[in-house]
Amino acid sequence: MNKVITVSLNGNAYQMDEDGYNTLAAYLSRAETKLRGSADHREVIADLERSIADKCANFLRPHKNVVSGAEITQILNEMGPVQTPEVGSIESEPSKAEAPPLRSETVIGGSSRRRRLYRIREGSKWAGVCTGMAAFTDMDVSIIRVMFVLATFCAAFFGLLVYIVLIFVLPVAYTESEVAAAHSRPPELRHT
Amino acid sequence: MALDQKFSTIRKGLLEFLILKIVAADKVYVADILSLLGDTEFATQEGTLYPLLGKMRREDLVSYDWQESDTGPPRKYYKLTAAGRKQLAEFNEYWKSLNTFINQAGR
Repeated sequence: MNKVITVSLNGNAYQMDEDGYNTLAAYLSRAETKLRGSADHREVIADLERSIADKCANFLRPHKNVVSGAEITQILNEMGPVQTPEVGSIESEPSKAEAPPLRSETVIGGSSRRRRLYRIREGSKWAGVCTGMAAFTDMDVSIIRVMFVLATFCAAFFGLLVYIVLIFVLPVAYTESEVAAAHSRPPELRHT
Repeated sequence: MALDQKFSTIRKGLLEFLILKIVAADKVYVADILSLLGDTEFATQEGTLYPLLGKMRREDLVSYDWQESDTGPPRKYYKLTAAGRKQLAEFNEYWKSLNTFINQAGR
């Protein structure tokens, strides 16, 4: 049994296994780092994503709707490493997508991505503390809720106390940039 | 430095002008460029081509139109701008003079 992750590439949802996701996340993160200097790097990344999405679609059939890690590796080998065109930054070409699966939450968007803990109202049961913590830590929100409930009943209402304090301490993420900062992953790679 | 690596450096510098030539000849999208270069010394990949086309677009050498396709999502078809045509003409001149010089050098 493999875990399947849904990602949005250029506006369409694709399902891939965890290996595939890690490999793709590392590739796009390296692409972003390489291209960040140019004004319209978002457009080039979108071009790359569109092309990867096309290639993913080729691997899907009516009874096969998950792209495997091996298929993602094949797709990225076909894409080739992202190279900046500036002469002078010529490097030796690695022949394949050299992607040791990275812990994507630490690399995506690079170090410049501002992150902080927010409350997130969308999908929340009460004040959005658990959804905010789930987005920040990239954990399943149910696990965090269970931890709060356990901490409430097993430790003299400690969980409830912490929850109430956090309602007052944490701001709610309203704007797009706040929502982005609340999540450990950029939107195109976020679980749906 | 291995011989092939030296040639590879030369090819990289020439790729941009080759793309100007290809785009000048016909309206093309990325898959056309890849397949035109596919069996040549200049075979390249999308990871190289998209950033390069992005740079050429920023420099206003190429522009593109979206066109619907029968078989899949819409495609970006590239064409040369006036600046692109001018640069291609300059490149052709430069290439000729380089060739002449290299052929005559050391005789």
